[in-house]
Amino acid sequence: MSWRPTALNVSFLTLAGWALFLGLLTGRADLVVIAIPLIVALAAGRRTAAPSPVQIHHAVSAERVLEDERLTVTVTIRAEGAAPLVELLEPLPPRVELERGSHHAFFSLRAGEEVGWEFVLRCGSRQRLRLGGPHVRLWGPLGLAAGEARFRAPQTVAVYPHLTSLRHPPRPVRTQTYVGNHVSPAQGEGIEPGDIRPFAPGDHVRHVNWRATLRHGALHVTQHHHERNADVVLLLDTLSDVGPPGASVVDAAVRGAADLAAAYLARKDRVGLIEYGGQLRWVKPGSGRAQFQRLLDTLLDASVVFTYVTRDLDLVPPRILPPQALVLALSPLLDARFVRAASDLTARGFDLVVIAVSPAPAARAAVRPSPVADLAARLWDLERRAELDAHRRRGLSIVPWDGVGPLDAALASLSRPRLRRTLAR
Amino acid sequence: MMRLAAAVLVAILVGFPVSVMPGPPVTWLAAVALVMAGAGVALLSVTLVTVGASLALIAYTIALVIVQPAVDPVAAIGIAVTLVILLALVHFADRVHGAALGPGVIATQVRQWMAIVAAGALAAATLTMVAALLGAALATATLPMVVAAAALGALLTVAGVIALTTREDPPRVS
Repeated sequence: MSWRPTALNVSFLTLAGWALFLGLLTGRADLVVIAIPLIVALAAGRRTAAPSPVQIHHAVSAERVLEDERLTVTVTIRAEGAAPLVELLEPLPPRVELERGSHHAFFSLRAGEEVGWEFVLRCGSRQRLRLGGPHVRLWGPLGLAAGEARFRAPQTVAVYPHLTSLRHPPRPVRTQTYVGNHVSPAQGEGIEPGDIRPFAPGDHVRHVNWRATLRHGALHVTQHHHERNADVVLLLDTLSDVGPPGASVVDAAVRGAADLAAAYLARKDRVGLIEYGGQLRWVKPGSGRAQFQRLLDTLLDASVVFTYVTRDLDLVPPRILPPQALVLALSPLLDARFVRAASDLTARGFDLVVIAVSPAPAARAAVRPSPVADLAARLWDLERRAELDAHRRRGLSIVPWDGVGPLDAALASLSRPRLRRTLAR
Repeated sequence: MMRLAAAVLVAILVGFPVSVMPGPPVTWLAAVALVMAGAGVALLSVTLVTVGASLALIAYTIALVIVQPAVDPVAAIGIAVTLVILLALVHFADRVHGAALGPGVIATQVRQWMAIVAAGALAAATLTMVAALLGAALATATLPMVVAAAALGALLTVAGVIALTTREDPPRVS
């Protein structure tokens, strides 16, 4: 760090020059006297010794937060020598608001003195928040010289989407082999009663149905259904996006995907993710907290990537998109490629539910409210309803969601076939 | 608070020429200076304050030329001190606007300003006294020679200040 003159020198030089010039022009000694303290100030304000080193420690309160949660940034400054005026400025990343304190501060430090500085940020929307560390500026007397440096302490904070619990996630039609919360059509150990049949050697006595036994005069047992888990694959459309950063359709879809992942993982299901956009990314279906963390980390980076290459879902290996899986697509259905991919999956026999995220609220957030915008939004809404009906007629199971209200309310209107009845056919 | 202090300093600065000659054209120019410097204080603009201060200086010169009072070094030092503190204050207020201030920041700044202003006032007073003593010795010298010597001295001083302010120190990484 080295001292550099500031623009204030020009002001001092201007006034000293005026005083000297006018003094010489008029022959008045008063005016020459005015110039002397200004010149003395210029000389005194100039720093000749190098700035004293400043040590900075930069820390954040958490490395992972949810949307709208607070993040406390703590900066500790220690000066080896006296630093009469130290300026610190932490640049705020986009979509982050200052909740408390200031990200710009001035301190006066004596030799060896340590000062703490703290401010609270509110992380508005999902992102990888990059805090690079504060800019440091040491000011000389009168502000005539300044030394600048950037304290580099790159810290990344993951801001995950805010989670809302879902009570009615779409019920999968097909189950897998592991223990879960869904009633399987297969008979075996479980708590859900099924058919009644005559007693056979090897049956447990606790399964004997005494009412049927008395009625038929022979021992009968009640069979039970297995409780099994299911494979759920979340298909996220990142081919198109509408709305301002942080409140776009993709952001709403990501929030919905996170809610669905949390709901299914809590039911012991295996959940996978496919990001269908400019880049095709996926997470293999799995279960548990580690899988939830993997899904959230992948969702954090979901964004529209422009490309001329159109990739097909045929590229996705079967271990990522199992044939028995329930596929939940979250899409604004604005891109014809995604509609084609969804229709193709349905035609191949996948159990697909499309959650159609409405782009209208996100688009309205990006434009100034006006009667014309209202009218355009209503027309767009009518047009979308007609399009969704056309998709339904082609066999797509579609749940409309405005992306703002609770997803649970939108999913409650979805009627799903009961699992046993479906397979009994 | 800092804006109020700067506004008081602007009023004092504009008051100097008006106190020498309370009438046109000094009052007109002083009014323009007041408006410019006042706008600079309101907007925390050092440039506008510099323009206003320059106008006040010109108004003071016109007042001195018209009225032709006796040389008043105390008033001159007063104007200079006001100018130094005004510029430093507006610049500081602009920098810290909207920022958090740690304990003792303003007190430290005021102490520094006062020390520099006192040094400037002392230097001005000393040079005035030296000039008064040299007055008798230079009584026989012709005015153009004195003016030329003074101009050369002023030029060298300004050049020295510019050289000092633009010289770079060896880097010291903290």
